[in-house]
Amino acid sequence: MAKILVIDDNVDLLETIRQILALRGGHQVVVSAEGTDGLAKAVADPPDLAIVDVMMPGVSGYEICRQLRANPRTASVPIIVFTARGQPVDRQAAMDVGADDYMAKPVPMKELLERVNDLLAKRAAETAHVLAGMVVLLSLRGGVGVTTLAVNLAATLARARDEAACLVDLCPSSGHVALHLGLRPEPNWSDLVKIGVPDVEFVEALLLQHASGLRVLASPMLPVVGHGLPRTVVETTLRVLRRRFAAVVVDAPSVLDEAAMAALDAATVVGLVVTPDAPSIQTAVGTMRALGQWSDKFQIILNQITPGAKLPTEAIERALKRSLLGTIPFDPAQARALGHGAPLALHSSTSPLAQAVRGLVQET
Amino acid sequence: MQEQLSTTWLIVDFFVHCYRISGRLNVRQKKLADQLNDRTTAFLQLDDVYMSNIEHPAHITASYSNSILRKQNITAVVVAQQDEGLPREHTYGSYLGTYLRKVFITVPSFEIEGDLRLSGRLDLRAVLTTGTDAFVTILDGRMTSSAHPDIVFTGGAVLVNRDHIGSFWVEEEE
Repeated sequence: MAKILVIDDNVDLLETIRQILALRGGHQVVVSAEGTDGLAKAVADPPDLAIVDVMMPGVSGYEICRQLRANPRTASVPIIVFTARGQPVDRQAAMDVGADDYMAKPVPMKELLERVNDLLAKRAAETAHVLAGMVVLLSLRGGVGVTTLAVNLAATLARARDEAACLVDLCPSSGHVALHLGLRPEPNWSDLVKIGVPDVEFVEALLLQHASGLRVLASPMLPVVGHGLPRTVVETTLRVLRRRFAAVVVDAPSVLDEAAMAALDAATVVGLVVTPDAPSIQTAVGTMRALGQWSDKFQIILNQITPGAKLPTEAIERALKRSLLGTIPFDPAQARALGHGAPLALHSSTSPLAQAVRGLVQET
Repeated sequence: MQEQLSTTWLIVDFFVHCYRISGRLNVRQKKLADQLNDRTTAFLQLDDVYMSNIEHPAHITASYSNSILRKQNITAVVVAQQDEGLPREHTYGSYLGTYLRKVFITVPSFEIEGDLRLSGRLDLRAVLTTGTDAFVTILDGRMTSSAHPDIVFTGGAVLVNRDHIGSFWVEEEE
């Protein structure tokens, strides 16, 4: 049984939906006939899913979606937008403000219940894993192996869970995701800068196809001079990918540019990658302080990029005031894997690195 | 248990000059097409109206609980279901002996494509001038903004005000 909040100014319809979801679906249903009241109920006691009408006096459904997504308490609540305006532009507008699904009235109630249950099941599957949904890997200190981890994690997610997975390289300075996979980075996201706000077909056309089934949004081979990807473009692109793929792994840039901020907003989980040395830990402490608003999403991953012990795990956890999600051991085969464009997760599943990455994505 | 919204109220997109006006129309007594073509009244009463500028058709700029539209100023009306756009007299049996022709219509700010249901010989002049109906029904219609071709409205039926039609083209029969 899930708790579902329904916000619609049509009280007759509200009662019909309440009965269908409660009696047929067995859900606990909270209703609100007014936008401001519905928003307050959502924030006070976040539901498992919200159904929001668009056309309401006062606060529109779009504004409710925006505010739910902006509030950390409700940012990850799945939202179904339910509206009488059923044109393609209306669907796009709903998705742009963060809705997970869209239905045009009149909708058979059986279909509404099916969509609700599908969305709840999808979200439950995501929360059964620590690293699932939109995983953003980040380190503001370069050279800690974020890209290696991102590539192997995406490949592992694609293979281990038999899921549609996508890997996004947001690095503006000649990102290396494509290199790790032996792919030529054409096309890449530089085309997104030219078009402005992309649609589903445009994003799909930019994805590279790896033999493993993994799809890749590569970064341009030449460093981007001046501004990189605008925030709105990254937001829309990640939203499109999130809807298309069960798992999206983002190799975030090592600077807090607009693209990185958009990725942090969209993330289900942020994997903060550290190496066992003082500069990396200092950077991680500062990162967590600077990005406090996303602290609930952070998971720490220790990456041993060189052989030999350095800072002990306990000292790292004490400094970061967090337990580690996992440790990736030094793997001498990684250098060769990079040279061959053949990630260990796909080509050497018994290697220490591949096994450790598999450990990260095990069910909790 | 009610499975769908009541059919007493129909939610309709009206296009009036530079505005998209979405509202609820009471169709219990009279169907939409019959209300639009009713020459005894120049107005249409709407409830729960939401207005958008046609440049940003998904952005709601204003909402009102009641509104009245002057029918002669309505350029076109889009409804989701084909039946909602047909007059009451167009029952299942009336389709017998009719055929569909692809048409292309220009009205201010929009191009409209779809199927026109005809009986007998096609006479474009008759389509635009004969009869008392102010609106012509285009089935499976697609309305594209002339200035912004990416802005498209589709519906089972598009009712087009004959007085607003600039040009009316019919595709050759194959």
